[in-house]
Amino acid sequence: MEGWAGKILDIDLGNGAIQSYPLDTEMKRLFLGGRGLGGRLLWDCVGSSVDPFSPENVLIFAAGPLTASGAQTTNRFTVSTKSPLTGTILDDNSGGWWGMQFKRTGYDALIVRGKATSPVTVEITPEGVSLKDATHLWGKTVFETTEALGQNNNRRNVLCIGPAGEKLVRIASIMNDGTRALARGGAGAVMGSKNLKAIVVEGNQKNTAKDQELFKFMLYETGKLIKASPITSQAFPEFGTAVMMNVLNEIGALPTRNFQSSQFEQAEKISGERMTETILVKNKACWACPIACTRYTKTDKAEGEGPEFETTWSFGAQCGIDQLDVIAEANYLCNDLGLDTISAGNTIGCAMELAERGIISSELRFGRADLLHDTIRDMAYRRGLGDEMAEGSYRFAAQHGAVEYSMSAKKLELPAYDPRGMQGQGLLFATSNRGGCHMRGNMLGPEVLALPRLVDRFATQGKAGIVAVHQNEAAVVDSLVVCRFTDIAVSVEYFARFLTAVGGIKFTADDLMKVGERVWNLERLYNLREGFTRTDDTLPERLLKEPVQSGPSKGFVVKLEPMLEEYYQFRGWDTHGVPTKAKLKELELDTLSSNGQ
Amino acid sequence: MIDQRLYEEFRDIGRDIYLGGLTSSHGGNISVRVGNRIIIKRRGAQLGRLKPEDFIETGLYTKDSGITRASTELIVHRAIYLKTSALAVIHCHPRTAIALSLSREEIIPIDNEGSYLLHKVPVVTAEYASGSQEMADTVAEVLRGYKMIMLRGHGCFAAGQTLEEAFHWVSALEEVSDIILEAHLLGEERIEYRRNPEAYKKW
Repeated sequence: MEGWAGKILDIDLGNGAIQSYPLDTEMKRLFLGGRGLGGRLLWDCVGSSVDPFSPENVLIFAAGPLTASGAQTTNRFTVSTKSPLTGTILDDNSGGWWGMQFKRTGYDALIVRGKATSPVTVEITPEGVSLKDATHLWGKTVFETTEALGQNNNRRNVLCIGPAGEKLVRIASIMNDGTRALARGGAGAVMGSKNLKAIVVEGNQKNTAKDQELFKFMLYETGKLIKASPITSQAFPEFGTAVMMNVLNEIGALPTRNFQSSQFEQAEKISGERMTETILVKNKACWACPIACTRYTKTDKAEGEGPEFETTWSFGAQCGIDQLDVIAEANYLCNDLGLDTISAGNTIGCAMELAERGIISSELRFGRADLLHDTIRDMAYRRGLGDEMAEGSYRFAAQHGAVEYSMSAKKLELPAYDPRGMQGQGLLFATSNRGGCHMRGNMLGPEVLALPRLVDRFATQGKAGIVAVHQNEAAVVDSLVVCRFTDIAVSVEYFARFLTAVGGIKFTADDLMKVGERVWNLERLYNLREGFTRTDDTLPERLLKEPVQSGPSKGFVVKLEPMLEEYYQFRGWDTHGVPTKAKLKELELDTLSSNGQ
Repeated sequence: MIDQRLYEEFRDIGRDIYLGGLTSSHGGNISVRVGNRIIIKRRGAQLGRLKPEDFIETGLYTKDSGITRASTELIVHRAIYLKTSALAVIHCHPRTAIALSLSREEIIPIDNEGSYLLHKVPVVTAEYASGSQEMADTVAEVLRGYKMIMLRGHGCFAAGQTLEEAFHWVSALEEVSDIILEAHLLGEERIEYRRNPEAYKKW
């Protein structure tokens, strides 16, 4: 194959039907693959009346045209579905090996429909596609399942859910290769609702670049920039993504104790630097990745991969916990149970505040590290208070009449950035199509790291355009599919040349940015069709009304409304946040509309 | 946090480098060693318009989260401080010197002042334009014996005890290079005035 395999695999778990059909050529040009292709297929498959846990919802696993090509970090893939946590369109993407291996089976995407009558595993190998009984695996953890199904990073790769997905926990993740996560929005619970325990892939096909000369040149040029960037060549390999802990704490943008403050007095103890000094055994890399940001760590009690920055924050500053070994073990536990670490930690932080305020009766308190692991298990197995928390922070807090203490946007728990100290990040969270998420175009680059240029993080005027461009760029990278950390070192013009070399179809940087804008608008249309409105483009009241009390961000709240107004104008949407006909025509989306036509 | 006096020195030298045409708006970087720490311009800050918040403090012997925001060339600055007695480092892009570096293994002044100050400036080739350990090690090693070094087609690194001293070497190099260029453009036979001009090649 050259870029695209040209085939979609379609499995109906309800009747066992397995079919494949060609990938439409226009789909390639308009949506590339990964998130874009998944979103477009989802538009047709899952309408607004569909309950995310019903058999009518689908899971769409998609590789991109660059996946498995050997270009830097092209190991990734996506899953698209309707989220049981947010009700929005959802896509997650993950690294490791599974995505590369899936592409080598000769498919661009896999659609899984219906619900099996008993637990099953899908197996895709050169010998064919089959459904296998997985009754004996139901109830097993991620590590147990991955091992039982014969994970081999170079030949055979396992994607599965753990107990949390089986129990329909709304913050359950799908795990691949044991420790990599399609984490957010409850995709694991959708898989559980279908009685689908695992998908195993073995491939033997190759994604070979059509223009070898250009491909090799781009490998060389990209390698140079990855090596030259202090972030991709030093900070992430040496300290992992948790290198951001001290950076965000220093500027007063590290949410602490459920966003009650924006600096954690013990940040140093849970920083990437401290991790390297204490529990780090080695760093590891996904397939074809020269960055190697993955941590392999060991505590007195356990060892495993992680934690990443967001996880270190969610179980650390968010919960007022400064014990790095406890946080690392919480990460291993979430991986094994199949839980999103951001949502899990954020929800526990929410519960801690509710308990401290006397709204719920619980021993949970900020800093109670001794309760962390049992609370995670209770959420995954839906026991006691954990059963309520398994619904995510929004439903949990709402159940107790205290929704204002859920730090979420569109019901998705916010990650490790206090937007009162990063105004653009606030707009990004509020307008994100899958809810409060930092991977829809992180403003960490322009507002903190000077990538590509430093902008005033407290400014609001002119910020909307930057946010939108970053959102579009993220949508492109997620559709190719390439790791977002490569995006730190190189720009879209590099990806355009890679795509031209691999797929043999000429793409410019501008072509790709237009794809990104198209994908973003498609997702917006999807959410509008689901009934979302401008009022959903918002943030927790605390971030809009409670100024930061101390530190470099003292006195600031998120000034959302003027940025939102500017954002809609920049996007070519009306004042209700609906894309105009002219914009849809420009993006070749005019055959779709938010009323389901 | 950078103190006011040091900030003013950074700001003034940075402005002089930019206004002197020795680098583009966002090019170049400068640092000083303070004990076991390095204070360096943040990545992307404009050298001609430095503000107090444009400086990053990071470790000399150990790396930390400062590397996420520091100049891309931090790795070279660190190597220079570790291998030499330098207390201040300037990296910038003097254009005439860069032009000369494209065809020479060394820049040897022909003017009196330049001969006295610099004697010879070595030119080295580095495959990566910036930020590589290979380049950092090469630059630091050369600066053990010279005031400054040219990276072919890229720019110079100058070391000093203060930013002002390093700036002196940079401005002298560009003056030296301008004189070489202009003498060449004149096309007239030069009258040697130095006792042993060949000795500069062995400097």
